[in-house]
Order: sequence, then structure tokens, then C-alpha cells
Amino acid sequence: MRRVTPDTIAVVDLAVCDRCGLCLPLCPPEAIHLELNVLTVDDAACTGCEKCVAPCPVGALAMVAYA
Amino acid sequence: MPDVDVLVVGAGPAGAVAAWHAKMAAPELDVVLLERDRAVGAPVRCAEGVGDAGLREFANPDGADWVSRRITDVIFEAPDDTQVVLADCGLGWILERTRFDAHLAAEAAAAGAEVLVAAEATGMSRNGDERWHVRVKERGREDIYRARVVIGADGVETMVGRWAGLDTRVPARDMESCAQYVLQGIDCNPDAIYLQFSNAIAPGGYAWIFPKAIGVANVGLGLVALKTDGRNARQYLDAWVARRFPAAARTGYTVGGVIVHTTIKKTYADGVIVAGDAAHMINPLSGGGITNAMKAGRLAGRTAAAAICAGDTSERRLSAYHHTWMELLGEDHLKYYRIKQALESVDDTFFNKLARTVNNIPPGKRTIGRVFTHALIRHPLLIPVAARFFV
Repeated sequence: MRRVTPDTIAVVDLAVCDRCGLCLPLCPPEAIHLELNVLTVDDAACTGCEKCVAPCPVGALAMVAYA
Repeated sequence: MPDVDVLVVGAGPAGAVAAWHAKMAAPELDVVLLERDRAVGAPVRCAEGVGDAGLREFANPDGADWVSRRITDVIFEAPDDTQVVLADCGLGWILERTRFDAHLAAEAAAAGAEVLVAAEATGMSRNGDERWHVRVKERGREDIYRARVVIGADGVETMVGRWAGLDTRVPARDMESCAQYVLQGIDCNPDAIYLQFSNAIAPGGYAWIFPKAIGVANVGLGLVALKTDGRNARQYLDAWVARRFPAAARTGYTVGGVIVHTTIKKTYADGVIVAGDAAHMINPLSGGGITNAMKAGRLAGRTAAAAICAGDTSERRLSAYHHTWMELLGEDHLKYYRIKQALESVDDTFFNKLARTVNNIPPGKRTIGRVFTHALIRHPLLIPVAARFFV
């Protein structure tokens, strides 16, 4: 599948993240993973849609410039 | 490489009941129940309220150590704090989920299922031998479990469904972001749950007080992020608690997501069944999921056991689970979802007015029937909101 490189992608602050898993089903490309109590965003899969950011109950997700 | 008949991923109410009923239906089968966390039932991500009738299908709450509080009253609160008290309007319970989930897992174990804690499924694949090969990490080592049927009861994350190729994604408008404190030293009726509806307090959802003991309660809220002013759920909760209970001690804190959608289009695949929150089997009006999860788990366990005994774990055979669930509760959730959508246009002014006119009914005559009749005249869409709260 062709993917346009986004300007920004989601990153998680693990010091704030509560590992509740709410963001996983919100991610259209299923780029967020929770394994062995660590949440990760696959930056190669993230499309920068921001759908995960506002719903996080503790504000652990933010958009950053894609380097 | 352990060979099992049924591998259940997730030991919440859906998974524990699934393992329990699979084993009850066919005691000769090998059933394993996996829990990722180090203790079944922890961390609690739940307001812990459940209706009496649904609960009793699975466990007897009378005198049980997994009950915190018996509830008889519901107090609705309008945005301007006007209260509508519905006394003796039905029976419910506030659970102690750490003990309740452990109780259900113990029922599964007593029926002969093997329960493993701190055991996390990290992926699975189909290898042409009519079995799922599930990678399980436990105590630093990885095992491959070969299972005839995998029951995905892994909650909001629903990885089993994803691995099986099912679409378990949720639109942002149907995700409630929730935050909750356990508060100590608060003044509230310990026999009542409180539900406050307000776009300023919990846009798209509601705030709740669920008592766990005298002076102790789960105090939380759920909101839809698309409707907020930019603050997150915890910030909304902090504002509400600061206003309502400024002196309370916060002795617990949790966050989580509640999917207020409808059952996923397909809850099954070859050798896979998905149940509970993982399949979005939640009442979209109340956000209640415990009874739904247990009923789905029972159905999943029985369906899996019967399929294995018949030597047919194909998608075609397991589709019976989906159809039975839709008849049992899934179709109702579709109706509640439509009501939820209609209620999204109701504003705070309407709720304030409704609360005041309902209070013109004398408290002694304020039965649920009369309040609903009143609401029916004022706004037909409101009726099922409270009626179905405990379902």
C-alpha cells in the first residue's frame, strides 16, 4: 500500500502513559502496539492523523515533526 | 509447545466465564486461561457497577466478599446540580473487581481450566494444521501454544481479533475517555449511584459517583474527546472533584476507554471467537460491560466446546456464536446506539428543565414508571436511558 510521508507523527510519553490501551482501536493503520507493558507507535506506519491524541485520558500522546 | 483445545486470552469477566463454561460443557477438553497482568482483576479499569439480575446468572452476591455495596437508589443530576432521586428503583451492586474477577477465575479453575497469570499472548498465526500457534511470553521465556480455538477476551486493545484479521477499530466519536478516583471521606448517600449529565462536566458522556462503602466511592467521568474544550479526561475530572469534593482524599486513580459503539461486524474467524469489550459488546447508552461480557463469555465457551467436540472449528460453524449473541443482546445495542446518537443533540438547558419538572412529581409517587411517562411526554428519546442503565 502506498503511503504519503506525513509532516507529523504521534509519539507517546511513557512517563505519562497509563497503559490503558484506549488508543489502540482508534488508530486507523493499527500502528500503536502494547506489549510487555510498553506502548509503542510504529512511526513507519503512523499516518499522522492525530486520532489518538485528544482521546488519551492523561494526554500521553502528542504529534511531533517527522524527521 | 503445549497443545490445548481452548486458549482464552484475558482473564476478565468475559474470559474467565468463557474458560469456565467451555470446561463445564466438555470436561474432557484442555482449557487454558491467560492473564497478562500479575494478578487477575488488577489494575481495575472500571466503575464496578452491575445490575442484580444479570449478575445472578453467574454468581450469588449475597454475603459475597467480592461485593462492596448494595445499591437501591439512582440519583440523576442535571447540569445545574438539580437532583432527581429515584428511590428503590431496582437493585444493583458495586463490586470489588479485584476479588470478583479472581472469583470468576477460581470458578474456571474449579471446573478444571488452567489459569496462568503474568502470561501475555504476543502474536498468533495459522500454520496449516487446523490450529492457531499462539506466542505466549511468561517469566521471560516464550512458548508456542497450539490451540484448536482461541477466545479473544483481551479487552479494549483486542489484539486477538486484530491477529485473526477482524476489524476491531473504533471511530473517535464512539470512544469514551474515562478517568476515576477512589475518594475517601465524602458525603453521599451510600445506597445510591449518582449520574450527572452536563456538556460542561463530561461532554458526550456523564460523571458518576458509585459508593464502595460509607464515605468511600468511585468518582469518575467519561467523555468524548471530539466534544471537549481541549482538556483531557483527567483534567475534566480534577475540575469536577475540586468543585464537588474539595476536601476528599484520593486513594486510587485509574483511566481507560469505554467503547460506546455496537458489536463488531464479525466476532469470529476460523478457530477464533472474540468476546466482551474486545468485540465492543458494551451497552452504548450506559457504558456497562460486565454482564454483557459474562453472557458473551458463556456463549463463547459453550460454542467453542461444542465445535471442538464435533471436530469442526471452522468459521462457518463458529458463526453461530455471532448470530446467537446478536439475538441475545447485540440487536438491543444497535437500538441503544441509535438512541445515543439522537441524545447527542440534547443540550444542558433541556436537562435542567426536565429535572425540575420531574421533581414536580411527589417523591412518594416518583416511581420509575411515572418519571418515564413524564419524560415520554417531554422527550420520548429519554425513556430508555435510565431503564437500561443496569443492563
